[in-house]
Amino acid sequence: MEERRHTSTHYERELQEVKNGLIYVGALTEKAIRSAMASLLERDSDLARQVVAEDDQIDAIDMELEEKCIRLLALRQPAARDLRFITTAIKINGHLERIGDMAVNIAQKAIILNEEPQLKPYIDLPRMADITREMIKESLDALVNEDTDLANRVRNAENTVDCLNDQIFRELLTFMMEDPRTIHRAILIMQISKNLERIADHAKGIADMVIYMVTGESVRHQFPAETETESP
Amino acid sequence: MKSRLFLKVFGTYFIIVILSLSVVTLLVSGEIRKSMIAKIEDELTTDARIIDLNSIKEIKTKIKQMADISNSRVTLIAETGKVLADSERDVAMLENHLNRPEIQEARVKGKGRATRFSKTVGVDMLYVALSLKSGPDIIGYVRLARPLYEVKHSVEKVYQSFFTAILLILPFSLIIAFIFSYRLIAPVKAMEQFTEKLRKGDVSGTLMVRTSDEMKQLASNINYLVTELQDKIRLANEEKGKLIAAFASMTEGVLVLDNEDRIEIFNRAFRHMVASQYGDVVGKTLIEAFRNIELQKTFDRFKSSGKPATQELTLGETMPIILDVSISAIKGVPGEEKTMIVFHDVTRLKKLEKMRVDFVANVTHEIRTPLTAILGFIETLQEGAIEEKETAQKFLEIIARHARRLNRLVEDLLTISDIELGEMQFFFESVSLSGILDNVLPVVEPRVGEKKMTLLKTLPEDLPPIRADRDRLVQIFLNVLDNAIKFTPESGKVSISASLEEDGHVAVRIADTGVGIPRDEVSRLGERFYRVDKTRSRELGGTGLGLSIVKHLMTAHGGRMEIESQLGQGTTVSLYFPVMDDGARVSEI
Repeated sequence: MEERRHTSTHYERELQEVKNGLIYVGALTEKAIRSAMASLLERDSDLARQVVAEDDQIDAIDMELEEKCIRLLALRQPAARDLRFITTAIKINGHLERIGDMAVNIAQKAIILNEEPQLKPYIDLPRMADITREMIKESLDALVNEDTDLANRVRNAENTVDCLNDQIFRELLTFMMEDPRTIHRAILIMQISKNLERIADHAKGIADMVIYMVTGESVRHQFPAETETESP
Repeated sequence: MKSRLFLKVFGTYFIIVILSLSVVTLLVSGEIRKSMIAKIEDELTTDARIIDLNSIKEIKTKIKQMADISNSRVTLIAETGKVLADSERDVAMLENHLNRPEIQEARVKGKGRATRFSKTVGVDMLYVALSLKSGPDIIGYVRLARPLYEVKHSVEKVYQSFFTAILLILPFSLIIAFIFSYRLIAPVKAMEQFTEKLRKGDVSGTLMVRTSDEMKQLASNINYLVTELQDKIRLANEEKGKLIAAFASMTEGVLVLDNEDRIEIFNRAFRHMVASQYGDVVGKTLIEAFRNIELQKTFDRFKSSGKPATQELTLGETMPIILDVSISAIKGVPGEEKTMIVFHDVTRLKKLEKMRVDFVANVTHEIRTPLTAILGFIETLQEGAIEEKETAQKFLEIIARHARRLNRLVEDLLTISDIELGEMQFFFESVSLSGILDNVLPVVEPRVGEKKMTLLKTLPEDLPPIRADRDRLVQIFLNVLDNAIKFTPESGKVSISASLEEDGHVAVRIADTGVGIPRDEVSRLGERFYRVDKTRSRELGGTGLGLSIVKHLMTAHGGRMEIESQLGQGTTVSLYFPVMDDGARVSEI
């Protein structure tokens, strides 16, 4: 935002506060995903409960940010770029809040899974989590640096996550067919995988909004081979 | 020289010269004119008085003659103003002259005069009139008039010489004016140029002015100010240099935020610590740059309280480090407050702290286990087991075994502490490797035989002697071989080989076909009490200090220990000893 110089520095500060808030929430969600996955991999249910508890914090900042954006819209009546930034911020904020909820979902599943013996060594799941976390981080990097190239890279990475999700599904299917006793655990793991896939979707949504913010063009529904797989 | 000041001064001189010359000319010409007119007037008056002596009739007839004599125009005017006779004009043509100023004056005073421009002659005329009296009554007037050619010529002459004078004087006076104004302006100009140079930031040099008046004083004042300025700048630079040096050479990472809370600068230490992991962070806010929740929280706490805030946090994506962060304000101009964040790397400290805590926990655990066993069996004996000979014997054996283990542990600990405190005495000498191994191998051979293992020794013939302490060398090999045998299953293989390395060290490799060590734990071997397989190792009777002692002893020997391992395949311990430095051997390589 360096090139933009507002007459009112207070206004500028408010915009920066919104931006800082988004990144802060982003960092919180990243941490939530990391902790949720760690609670699953290290079978640490206390950590999982902590993730569930800390989601309130994400929700609180999310509400605060939304209010800030609406106040800015009402009081400052921004135009052009600033208007795009604020509307983008509201949308990104929504995405981040959903990501936080997904992390909570993962943590809750982890708590249940930790009660039972581990079904199989997790290999693709942590990889998926790493990629989705990287996607969130890079989409926010793109926001900070107004970098559309990076945003496009994030949008492409979503494919990888989809593939991993499919692979996990197929693998777990074989487990379930072999031994019906594994079905409960396998479904839980599938749900975690699904949640991660949804997080990647949201990260892509953030990247889309960044591109819209920088260029003013909406790229949301023009993705090559986009697989819109809602509802588990 | 395009100086406005110069033009002003020079112009003033120029005007003064012209003006004074003009005034003088005007005064002189006026004076000349006045005196000449007075002279002519006297002449005319004298002539008029002579004419006056004649009667009117006589005048009338002799008027031409009279005009010739007096060299003027003579007019006879009746008392009523009517012209009776004129030496130059026809009387009939002339109007009544009573209103002429000279006649009016003559009527009152007896004599009148006036100067008038005559249209007919085209030059100023001087008129002098006298009243003709018969008793007290005026009977007429006689008027003499002469054109003032002479006066005009004289005045023109004066003007001429004035112009000549101007032409003659002007160049000189201008040159003088030029020089004078130049000398007045030059110091001003020099000061102007000098101060301009100062304004642009060049504070070198002194102002030289070749005058001795107030300009000189002004110049010396300026010089004084410049010296002061130079001193101040030098001082400021010195201070700045010190600060920059301190800033750059500090081991603590320092980050400065501007008044908009954006990263302004950071020092080298901070770059090495973490900044290099985050790409370009200058110009970003803290959360934008580092994405660290703890750091942002601490910063928010500092902002809201206005008091310095400290926090311990972990920063870094690829290489996380633990940092002690303290945030404080840099007081500057109001509204320009900056923030300084100091990062103190406490990773090593934390690690050492953890190692110390672990060490104490380990030692107590290691000591407690045998002690518990010993106490337990002693109590059982006291409670009557001592009566049963056979059981008592068994218990005593167990007690002895644990006591021996305790003893071994204490000995190992003492060894380590001796080495670490530098109190252990080493007697370095030239030692032949095969000789030492010949001493060591018989000690371990019984156990090799027990486990039906093969022990291979292949040493090259021309291996140079190494520089080592014989007793410690035995200790090193015993420890390593002990480990190799302990962790290799029955009918495994332990092989000893040696070679001369390019760096001048002799490498002894002791390879086994044992259980191996997980890759990420290899680096932790050599830490005190570190065991890869916690339970099994203790069962096998180790103290957890063996490799630690080897590592320390190798360092004391000026060598090193390296471990490579493949899980399930075996482990190779490489020991690098310095060659006995007698010169001959080294030069051959």
